[in-house]
Amino acid sequence: MENLCKVYGSGEARVDALKHVSFSMQKGEFAAVVGASGSGKSTLLNCIGGLDEADTGKVFLNGRDVFAMEENERTIFRRQNIGFIFQSFHLIPELNVEQNIIFPLLLDYKKPKRERVDEILEVLGLADRRKHLPGQLSGGQQQRVAIGRALITRPILVLADEPTGNLDSQSSRDVMDLLCKASRHYQQTVLMITHNMSLTSLADRVFEVTDGELSELGGVLD
Amino acid sequence: MKHYLDLIPISAKQHRKQNRMTRLCIVLAVFLVTVIFGMADMEMRSQMIQAVQSDGSWHAGFLMNEEQGALLKERPEVEHAARYGVLNYYLRDGYQIAGTETVIAGLDQELLEMFPAAEIVEGTFPENDEEAVLNESAKTRLKVQVGDSFDMTTPQGETKRYDITGITKDTALEAEHDAFGVILNTEGFSALRSEETEAAQEVIYYVKFRSFCSIQKGIREICEQFGLGQGEVRQNAKVLMLMFQSGDTYMMQFYLVAAILAALVVIAGIFMITASMNSNIARRTEFFGMMRCLGATGKQVTRFVRREALNWCKSAVPAGVAAGILVVWILCWMLRFLSPGLFEGLPVFGISFPGVAAGVFVGFITVLLAARSPAKRAAKVSPLTAVSGNAGTVQTVKRTANTRLFKVDTALGVHHASGSKKNFLLITVSFAFSIILFLAFSTAIDFMHHALTPLRPSAPDIYIYKEDYSNQIPSGLDEEIEEYPGVKRAFGRGYAELSMSAEQSRLIAISYNDQQFRWAEDSLIEGSIQDAMDGKGILSVFREGSTLAPGSRVMVSAGGKDQEISVTGILGDVPYNYGAGGDTEGTAGMIICSEEMFRELTGEDGYAVLDVQLDQDASDAQVSEIRRAMEQACGSGAAFSDKRIGNREVKGAGYSMSLFLYGFLAVIALIGFFNIINNIGMSVSARMKEYGAMRAIGMSVRQLDRMIVGEAMTYTVFGVGFGCVIGLPLNRVLFQSLVTSRWGDEWSIPAGELLVIVVIMLVSVCLAVIGPAKQIKKMSVADTLNRE
Repeated sequence: MENLCKVYGSGEARVDALKHVSFSMQKGEFAAVVGASGSGKSTLLNCIGGLDEADTGKVFLNGRDVFAMEENERTIFRRQNIGFIFQSFHLIPELNVEQNIIFPLLLDYKKPKRERVDEILEVLGLADRRKHLPGQLSGGQQQRVAIGRALITRPILVLADEPTGNLDSQSSRDVMDLLCKASRHYQQTVLMITHNMSLTSLADRVFEVTDGELSELGGVLD
Repeated sequence: MKHYLDLIPISAKQHRKQNRMTRLCIVLAVFLVTVIFGMADMEMRSQMIQAVQSDGSWHAGFLMNEEQGALLKERPEVEHAARYGVLNYYLRDGYQIAGTETVIAGLDQELLEMFPAAEIVEGTFPENDEEAVLNESAKTRLKVQVGDSFDMTTPQGETKRYDITGITKDTALEAEHDAFGVILNTEGFSALRSEETEAAQEVIYYVKFRSFCSIQKGIREICEQFGLGQGEVRQNAKVLMLMFQSGDTYMMQFYLVAAILAALVVIAGIFMITASMNSNIARRTEFFGMMRCLGATGKQVTRFVRREALNWCKSAVPAGVAAGILVVWILCWMLRFLSPGLFEGLPVFGISFPGVAAGVFVGFITVLLAARSPAKRAAKVSPLTAVSGNAGTVQTVKRTANTRLFKVDTALGVHHASGSKKNFLLITVSFAFSIILFLAFSTAIDFMHHALTPLRPSAPDIYIYKEDYSNQIPSGLDEEIEEYPGVKRAFGRGYAELSMSAEQSRLIAISYNDQQFRWAEDSLIEGSIQDAMDGKGILSVFREGSTLAPGSRVMVSAGGKDQEISVTGILGDVPYNYGAGGDTEGTAGMIICSEEMFRELTGEDGYAVLDVQLDQDASDAQVSEIRRAMEQACGSGAAFSDKRIGNREVKGAGYSMSLFLYGFLAVIALIGFFNIINNIGMSVSARMKEYGAMRAIGMSVRQLDRMIVGEAMTYTVFGVGFGCVIGLPLNRVLFQSLVTSRWGDEWSIPAGELLVIVVIMLVSVCLAVIGPAKQIKKMSVADTLNRE
């Protein structure tokens, strides 16, 4: 990320959500971002994922400038290279567990490989729930489905916005284990926003956002 | 904020968009009901104006003597009773003024109120048996004034002298037959009648019953009291029908059809509102759950929901009613514009109370009934569910989308439509209702085509003809008359009887000019008009068992000369009869040929009839001028006919009925159109957050568009299917009651109508997707996901 700036409102209502943020991450790294509510964490995540556009600055993913892409191109790029995990899961209620997981592949009109789906379901511990609808699952199970959906395309980057925010402690641990596995085992870069400082112990790097400024805790920014 | 219900306007501000859509749906439903009931009311008013104008405002007529008449007047249900008698109605009994056949009516002055067509435009009603009122054409042609006198000869050869006390307008019958009309008072009529023998008719007592009484019951009782048979009672069928007082079995069927259509309209309105309110239940449930969480009782929530629904009505119902009234005004204005003379009585800014009442009723009652379900559901939401944030956010989906049958985007669209059974049923039924209503109302169009004899493009406004149908009207007269101001077109026809040597029968030959041939194109069944126009052969007029098929040749003789002619085509019908008496006995049929061929066949050059079509603004003075020129050129033995009044009535009836019936169909189509747009719009805005998540995961705008199209098409396909399943049998039943029972036409699938409404629905779907597609394109994914 190079010199990312984002401002909301104007005059007295002006809020600097991001102030000249620059940093980079290596493949397979697991980073956590902490910060108070309204500090700009989610804006940062949305800009990296191309869901929101920064006022200035650039985001490069595998050498490609995300903001330089056309809207449609960026959508397809996002679906193939970035996995999203949200606090409130955002599963598609009409699709069952398996369909939700393979959804990004279906959007590419690709037929998913059976072994790959089985493997993910096994890793997520949802093999016996593959035909269940999201409404029939607990919060922890729903979040595991969301993780599966984020990982199915083997993305370069997984962005998780408070993935454990709605979960009990056991489910939170499960989710964290899965994210670690994604990073360590599948060499996927994971950037996670969290309020829970105890979860940062599992991360390779920890960033803090304060009033739109990013700093690395226990380390030095590039 | 002083009361918890004050939250309603504040909450409304927050959910302005979704509320606007619900409100729009209420507006549309109320508009539909108001406009259809209002149009029906105005159509009945316009038909009533015409019926009263042409047939009078009386309800029933009884043939009885004066003693019985006096008793009749005393009956409580009788408001007015007046005597009426007529002589020489068919203009062949020999009552004449200056050699012109004259209709003589004898009536009580009170009767004039029941016959606006006989209104005295100048002078007064006759007071004694030597006074009379003359019609306008007699006044013009006899060059007399009020105060002058005239002589009338009776069939017995007597001459009676009357003083003119007033002038009345020509009736359609008098104008068409170029007859004079005289109105006498009843004493004068009796005095004349006593000298008359066979042609005299008994006096009829025309009765107008009091408002709100059962006319059929009154008629039955009067018949019983005076021992009157069926032939001695006549009813003003059209007026009684329009008052819903007809006892005719066909009319009863007609009323039933009208009731079914009215019920369908009301049900359509109810479905529209219910479907729209059901669409935003999820959002409302969550909101009311939050209220329960904050301590509101179930009853308070119910009250809140009801008040909110009534608040929508406060603006939506008047808006729907106002829009409905506006459309009715426009239609009434169009009618007055199209036929100014006939519809003067129609109010320009008239309010149809049945229309407004129906609109308000449907609006308020449906909204309150439809609000019950979300209110109940909201009241039942447990505070715990609201606290957990799950009320309404995770929809209760029971079935998985089928991603095998369709691609995932389309599959999700199909599932969005069909996922919730109740919602699917309501929206599909509301779509289906457009088709059902369209198919049901289209039978009324078939009825109209049968009930109204349309004015043909060839119909003349005035014409002159040789009474013996001899071709003695000079052939150049049409061109000469066309030069007169006020004349749009003049054309003549020759008539001749040809004998067919093979069949020893007669053949009627009529000559057409090019224009008449062009008009005949619509009724061509087989063959070619052009060949007949070019003089290569003749057109035969269809007749059961006729041997004159296209391609055949026939030997005819006229004036002792035998000639062979070929048949180039068959016409379904022509608007002319078989010569002077219209006698078809002994004729093998009718043929149409060009003027040149007519000359070759008969050796005659002139016309038997010369028709004139007038400009719309042709004045009476211009018509008199044309008439004078025509009479001068035609000499004796020519009769003149003025069909302007009759034409105007036919045109007026056609205009009013087609305007209202096609108006109904247009409103139904429009409502179907708006209903689809509104429902799709609501469905999309209710799922915006879900769409945001899909966009975040990587669904493209195009894929989302496909999803919405899938959803819209699911409603449409099932709506069309359901609409056909109910609509076609209904169309059949209505067609059989309205048309088959009377004219015998067999029902067939109304493919044209079906195609029109399906195309309208498909176009609506395409347009319905444009708005949401734009909305999705503009959507900020991050903002949508963060919005709660």
